[in-house]
Amino acid sequence: MIPSAYPSLTRMAERQIVAFPEHRAYLEKRFADTTPDGFAFAEEIAGKVLRIADTDLDRICEDYKWLSGIVLEEELHFRRTGRYRLSTFEEADHEVYSNRPFMTRYMNGLLATQLWWRNHTEILRFFRDRFVAGNPLGFRHLEIGPGHGLFLSLAAGTPNCRAAEGWDISDASIASTRAALKAMGFGPKIGLEKVNLFAAPDAQFDSICFSEVLEHLERPADALAVLLRLLAKNGRVFVNAPVNSPAPDHLYLFRAPEEVEQMVEAAGFAIEDRLFSPCTGATLERARKLKLSISAGVIARKP
Amino acid sequence: MDEDLKKLTGIVRDLFDEYEGPVTRALSARDVEQWDSLANVQFVVLVEQAFGVRFTSDQVGKFQNVGELLDAVAAKRSAKP
Repeated sequence: MIPSAYPSLTRMAERQIVAFPEHRAYLEKRFADTTPDGFAFAEEIAGKVLRIADTDLDRICEDYKWLSGIVLEEELHFRRTGRYRLSTFEEADHEVYSNRPFMTRYMNGLLATQLWWRNHTEILRFFRDRFVAGNPLGFRHLEIGPGHGLFLSLAAGTPNCRAAEGWDISDASIASTRAALKAMGFGPKIGLEKVNLFAAPDAQFDSICFSEVLEHLERPADALAVLLRLLAKNGRVFVNAPVNSPAPDHLYLFRAPEEVEQMVEAAGFAIEDRLFSPCTGATLERARKLKLSISAGVIARKP
Repeated sequence: MDEDLKKLTGIVRDLFDEYEGPVTRALSARDVEQWDSLANVQFVVLVEQAFGVRFTSDQVGKFQNVGELLDAVAAKRSAKP
């Protein structure tokens, strides 16, 4: 399934299959048409995940299995009703964000999806190769909702990055991101602050990452307006949001990837680039036809 | 071919469009590459909608093949008042 030249990825896949043997066929499909460049990138991410996991790799693999079950339950509701199960932040806070044991397992599972869900890995790569690589020398970077820390590590790890910080509304999430960054070799230079985006301080950044946040909001367009204010002139934003992707805390349903791009444009940004990446095993055409999950990654500039 | 299997065959052909083999009661996820756990949910819900039945959440992931799914449809229909 995975060539021996990629030991971190191989180790992770082996542990995942031990924890979730019935997932073997899916993982084989996941890597079936992976190119050498794709494997090299996945190996880099697997190395980071292994450092974050440390001695908890088996728990992360177990929590990925658990998350897969949770997603199937949400998928059943979505297929029957055409809607996500929750519609308000209050509901999501009650069921997910304030439920510490649930959140821990959820975040562990999501960490593993960065490798096992093809669209997640491809969006990470798009972020590194097309967004971070296009930022100017000395860029000041902000990520809102840095979660597992992988996006933040890819931005802060480039020599062009002068300063990087992350904002989140949850102390638990900040603690988790801090531990992940430390494990990946980043010191305290990356500031992590408890900030509500809608009460953001006056600050200016050249680069903002806003990945998998829009779908958690009741009024996502309002958040994009704040991002525009936080960016310096000619600053760039990376927005990533999933389409037709039911999850326990997803509120806003994007039904097509163009809806994400149009929302970014309507907020006043000039679109530079986009990647619409379908879920494992599907072409973009099939994902559109069957309303399967698609990650919509959009790069835009403040005019 | 009985009418239920004929109707279900249409769903299989539409959803699993890379599968070109026969659709029989023995057909299972092992025979169809596109039939993974996520696609199974979509498949079962399409069957629910086509036949006007509703399975329990527990049932959805446990059908071993097309025959078991058709038997469950028949059982649901006969249980209706």
